[in-house]
Amino acid sequence: MELGKIFNSSLIYATFRSATPIIYAALCAAITQQADILNIGTEGIMLIGAFMAVAVSYLTGSWILGVLVAMVSGLVLAMVMAVGNIKFKSDICAIGMGINMFALAITKFLLNAWLGQSGTFMSPEIKSIPKVHIPGLSSIPVIGDIFNDWYITEWLVIVLIIVLWFVFYKTVWGLRLRAVGRMPLAAQTAGINVNAMKYQAIAISGLVGGLAGAHLSLGYSTMFVENMTSSRGFMGVAAMYFGGAHPVFTTIGCLVFGFTDSVGARLQANGVPSQLVLLMPYVVTIVVLAISMATKMSAEKKRKSSLVTH
Amino acid sequence: MLNTNYVVEMKDIKKSFGSVHAVKNGQFTLRKGEIHSLIGENGAGKSTMMKMLYGMYPFDAGEVKINGKAYESINPKSAIEAGVGMVHQEFMLVNELTVLENIILGFEPKKGLTIDFDAARKMAQQYIDQYDMDVQLDKKISQISVGEAQRVEIIKILARGAEIIILDEPTAVLTPQEARRLFEILNNLKEDGKSIVFISHKLNEVMEISDRISCMRQGQYTGTVNKTETSPAELTKMMIGREVFLNIEKKTAHQGDVVLEVKDVWTSGEKEISKIRGISFDVKAGEIVGIAGIDGNGQSELIEAIAGLRKVEKGNVILDGTDITNKTVKQIREAGLTHIPEDRNTRGLNRAFTIGENLVEVELDKAPIKKGGIINKTAIAERAEEMIKKFDIRPADGQLPTSSLSGGNAQKVVVAREVNLGGKLLIASQPTRGVDIGAIESIRSILQDVKEKGLGVLLVSAELEEIMSLSDRIIVMHEGKITGRMKADEADEERLGLLMMGGHNAEEKGEHHE
Repeated sequence: MELGKIFNSSLIYATFRSATPIIYAALCAAITQQADILNIGTEGIMLIGAFMAVAVSYLTGSWILGVLVAMVSGLVLAMVMAVGNIKFKSDICAIGMGINMFALAITKFLLNAWLGQSGTFMSPEIKSIPKVHIPGLSSIPVIGDIFNDWYITEWLVIVLIIVLWFVFYKTVWGLRLRAVGRMPLAAQTAGINVNAMKYQAIAISGLVGGLAGAHLSLGYSTMFVENMTSSRGFMGVAAMYFGGAHPVFTTIGCLVFGFTDSVGARLQANGVPSQLVLLMPYVVTIVVLAISMATKMSAEKKRKSSLVTH
Repeated sequence: MLNTNYVVEMKDIKKSFGSVHAVKNGQFTLRKGEIHSLIGENGAGKSTMMKMLYGMYPFDAGEVKINGKAYESINPKSAIEAGVGMVHQEFMLVNELTVLENIILGFEPKKGLTIDFDAARKMAQQYIDQYDMDVQLDKKISQISVGEAQRVEIIKILARGAEIIILDEPTAVLTPQEARRLFEILNNLKEDGKSIVFISHKLNEVMEISDRISCMRQGQYTGTVNKTETSPAELTKMMIGREVFLNIEKKTAHQGDVVLEVKDVWTSGEKEISKIRGISFDVKAGEIVGIAGIDGNGQSELIEAIAGLRKVEKGNVILDGTDITNKTVKQIREAGLTHIPEDRNTRGLNRAFTIGENLVEVELDKAPIKKGGIINKTAIAERAEEMIKKFDIRPADGQLPTSSLSGGNAQKVVVAREVNLGGKLLIASQPTRGVDIGAIESIRSILQDVKEKGLGVLLVSAELEEIMSLSDRIIVMHEGKITGRMKADEADEERLGLLMMGGHNAEEKGEHHE
């Protein structure tokens, strides 16, 4: 096994490419987390988005329409969650898991009943999200390799990270959202409509979750496979925890997953057993969460200790 | 009573929560530019009256006028619009946000897409300068003191244009120094023409700050007096309905051996000032040792460390000769410790369980409550009946959930359970907080009985009057350290107050003089 074949400049783009769907999912979870709502339904929202994007793109020949319908279906699913949680006071994790199971079943059903396929759906008539080709860039050696021919949605995720950072920390809406998440009673006495803020956060989260799915099935790949999200939604939630719902730190968590995934793929090509490689993202999820929780706990313990002077 | 000077008029107010009549006959008027104190015992209905004025609770019956305008109903939004602001006992501040962000929350100045922090800072600074308030705008709420957080609340209210300011027991969480500064601010606000409602049950403060004083007792209005024409004795009579106040005769019991020995204990704290750094003292059989101090100076952490609820980082706790340092709660209880925790709703009681179940909760693994591996319901019912009678818990029905009890009766359930166990040492942490006068009297006399039976009692209370009337010895705590120790007959409020502020020098001086 040659290390040079595994760790080279193309690993940078490979890492980002594998991370992008998880970043979208993590941002979906981060938006609601700022309002103290754990969006465990990210996985299901993303899966529905992935299916709708492929189906609409296949039927209409328009990837834009596919992406838009995916986002709207994410929104609809998120609103089911919002009404259940805010209006009918049901537990957010229970509804979220319900959404995940529903998404798995309905996409399987629609794949059969509507598109007449089972398992995997591929077709040349599915229009994928186009790539951005910058003519002059390919002549520059390393830079050209890394940055040329990205999918539109890969550039878009960078914009989204910056926009969400700006919204959370610089705007009135963001300040109110964070206040609602940290101490709803204080927000309420300050005249903020707490429930309205929660509905808005979940709605936007749904749109981003649908986009996550569309990128997965029309950008990252051009097909739909049953359960194709394969826990990327949960990894996004884990990365969101790791980054404390801060868009930039959350993205760093996602890049760790992307890196593991890309290295894994290369290792597999070099003869490492595939079972072991497939296991890696999940092991990393557990390790990342364990490390971030342990760090938080030890910092908290140190802060409270009488033996340490500040 | 038509007087245009009144900015607030509340007449014949009634308010019930379920079957509890919190306010039966509420009367209150506020003149422009006065400080009007509303006094009464816990549960007298004074906070409820003001929460109705601020629109947090709807009033069932009566008349409310603000600035001469009659209101059918009020919500916080219409109250704010009418110029009413309230500083709650529990601060409505977001810990993770900065002071400035908290001040502008809900009416943020904007510049394009972003918050205009420059304009916000200017606005906040104006109030800070005008009333000389000493507030650090860029610190997070979690980093500032309670006194500063209270000033942030006042700025928040002023920034929203409040002309009528309600403060609900504002000094309960303050050191005497901070309280003095609050009074300066309140006097400045008054000079600026603001009208202030000051809710309190501390007569010395009320006599210092007020122009007029209104009193409530058990939901009933009992009168309004001018400060210059009244005395603490008269106010006490209005509050309690009789002249003497809890004059429990202190009994001296035969003092035995040391039952609790705390040796150089260090333990973690929720805040820097509540970390315990090297505390030593002892409690003998047949005596009550009182720990005085302002809330949050480490008393809670110290008790948790002794009771096995918080890790002792250094030092030893010895109960009746057994080292109980960092033992499990069960082991510590078996060694003879009983504990009335400071928060009855989270640690003292299981609110969803019945009175009977709560009364036997610490004996579930012993006969006769446990019979052949299962719980004996008949034994619980018998025990409940016996203890309800003995400790006069009302209503006298062991099947009722504890959540339906008043504060006083809920606390009696905790006291009954712990006292009934016997043991060697009873820890009573804030045993009469938030309970009515009748329950205070009976809980205090129970503590005396426990002492007479030969147990050691460790009492923690924020009420100096309680500490002084019950304790044989007094320990004063400030910022996690002991700042003074004395026999009860050497103590007076002034001396304790100084020590509670951390006055070591005052302590030494005092000792030399005596």
